[in-house]
Amino acid sequence: MTFKWIEQASTRRTFLKAAGGVSAAALTGFSMPALAQSAEVTVIAAESNANALEVLRRIGADFEKQSGTKVVINNMDHEAHKTAIRNYLVAGAPDVCFWFSGNRMKAFVNRGLFDDISDLFAKEKYKDVLGATTGAVTVDGKQYGLPTGGTMWGMFYRKDVFAEHDLTVPATWDEFLAYGQKSKAAGLTPVAIGTKELWPAAGWFDQMNLRINGLDKHFALMNGEMAYTDATLKPVFDYWEELIKQGFFTPDHTSFGWQEAGAFLAQKKAGMMNLGAFVKYTFPEQDVEQLTFAPFPKIEGIDRYEEFSVNSVHIPANAKNKAGAREFLAFFYQPENLSAYLEPGGNVPPRSDLPASKDPLVNAAVESLKTVAGTSQYYDRDTDPDMAQAGLTGFQEFMAKPERRDAILQRLEGTRRRIFKI
Amino acid sequence: MTNLWRRHRWWLTPTLLIMPAAILFAVVILASSVESLWISLHEWDGFGPMRWIGFDNYRELFNDPQFYVSLKNNVIWLVMFMLAPPLGLAIALLVNQKIRGMRFLKSLFFIPLVLASVAVGVVFSWVYTPQFGLLAIIFRFFGATAPAVLSDEHFVTFAVVTAALWPQTAFCMVLYLAGLNNLSEDLIGAGRVDGAKGWNMLRHIVLPQLTQVTFIAIAVTVVGALRSFDIISVMTSGGPFGSSSVLAYQMFEQSIFSYRFGYGAAIASILFVIMAVFIVWYLTRIIRAEERGA
Repeated sequence: MTFKWIEQASTRRTFLKAAGGVSAAALTGFSMPALAQSAEVTVIAAESNANALEVLRRIGADFEKQSGTKVVINNMDHEAHKTAIRNYLVAGAPDVCFWFSGNRMKAFVNRGLFDDISDLFAKEKYKDVLGATTGAVTVDGKQYGLPTGGTMWGMFYRKDVFAEHDLTVPATWDEFLAYGQKSKAAGLTPVAIGTKELWPAAGWFDQMNLRINGLDKHFALMNGEMAYTDATLKPVFDYWEELIKQGFFTPDHTSFGWQEAGAFLAQKKAGMMNLGAFVKYTFPEQDVEQLTFAPFPKIEGIDRYEEFSVNSVHIPANAKNKAGAREFLAFFYQPENLSAYLEPGGNVPPRSDLPASKDPLVNAAVESLKTVAGTSQYYDRDTDPDMAQAGLTGFQEFMAKPERRDAILQRLEGTRRRIFKI
Repeated sequence: MTNLWRRHRWWLTPTLLIMPAAILFAVVILASSVESLWISLHEWDGFGPMRWIGFDNYRELFNDPQFYVSLKNNVIWLVMFMLAPPLGLAIALLVNQKIRGMRFLKSLFFIPLVLASVAVGVVFSWVYTPQFGLLAIIFRFFGATAPAVLSDEHFVTFAVVTAALWPQTAFCMVLYLAGLNNLSEDLIGAGRVDGAKGWNMLRHIVLPQLTQVTFIAIAVTVVGALRSFDIISVMTSGGPFGSSSVLAYQMFEQSIFSYRFGYGAAIASILFVIMAVFIVWYLTRIIRAEERGA
């Protein structure tokens, strides 16, 4: 075979020229949006609910019409966003981003990556409508974000299953144990749980610790001020072990994710499940109306504390258009816009002046929250992320191998000492 | 100018041609490896300031029970993965026969190679699902209860490797099929004249001609075993309680979930050392083979 070098050379040269031209255009292209910056607000969202995302885009378009400022909404995969945010906050921040309040927000506030928006709070008088929820976005008396929607955690169950097997909602520990016996006799798993993704086991720990030791001691543990080997935690693990030994939980729970565990509840194979209202996504649409929830049973005679995790929206410290971002947030946070955004996801609204939701679960959560003495967010939102990872694994191991309790707690204590430098 | 070019062309041309690859390799592989080593001597959360702590990360690593679990699992991966080349060879010999319908069989064995390993992982985790999975159904047919393999800390790694072996075996089979097509007819004919058949033919005439293919199959399998990550992430996330984690997954978990880039880099460095042993062996083999060839 012969090769015509001369002809080849000319085509190769044109190819190279074209390629060079394309890459040069790409390089200059990256800086082009700089021209349009002043009248643009970029938003990074991590909304997995398609309907809520649609509402968010509509709010962006409405804002654009009203103010003339262009709104660009980039939506990311929920899990991928959790790692991406650490890059973009430093390297190329948007003007508005969605995140989680509490300790997860604080991690970025401490590193100076979120903008102080106390001025927006004062101007729009948000404290009046937010009440105690303001605390979720406050660090050292300053506000760094706006709470969007919350998830109230509780024991979810199907009304028809409870009626069919003549079960009653347990309010105390003894009733809970009796409920377990009765549901097992009826062929149900008393409590559906899937610990493949680890966190449901930690949520169970939170619930028990809040019922036995209360909020202050729980937060002492979350803030690394209390040892995992502390004697006050012993009853928590004693009660928990009792449940494990009696076969309360889904067998082989480490093989199942929360969605599969939710399916056990939906398919009437399990009696109750500790989760947020999002468990309804595992239900067929016609069955959702059967779903309801009750608070975790009372154990010690103390005030009722609940887990209420609050999502939030922030302005990164490196945002280019902070004034525009504030205007957009104020618009987004107007009652009619906020409630429209929250409605599809079934989240509990943070503002007290929003109209009642069409979702009975949301309204029940709002009512339930009014009777609560205090709230925590969730284990992996309340404690240091490094500690959370060790804790989540530890609780999963405890649920599978309760006899290893001492070794697990020793290990967690070692991790706590390393992280909180004790 | 043209004169200068003409005089130096003999070394400029190859240099220019190698340059893009060399620069890419230097930036993407060399520089980042050195930086990883550098990070492993610090305490760093990924965005804050780095704090020099010397060899503390390594000291902690060698006292970390999880490190030994991951290391042990890496060894299990390596050993079990070595089944792939012989299994691949066996299947290749089987489907290499000229029988009607063999083409169809061949393509069946080829299928797992087309699937993304994430898809393989998902499919196998369905097979292993207690109560509803295929494994549970098979066991039930014989009146037994299937163990929840992905929930058992002793079985879980074996279960995951079994899933990963499926595409790996197919890959080795393809390599061997290509090798079998290149067998020298002369040698086989000569062997047949000398009365070799069956096992003797395979052992003394076919296998020696497949040495190079075997070498590549083993090399690819070792690398595949050491970089196992995606299928673990999909099937178990390293669980239950870290018992199916390997070094690569532990590194990812520590860096991304625990915000400990220094510690993660230390794990990566150890993994690099293990890989380096193998790479040195591989390179010396290649260089020796090339010298013999030249």
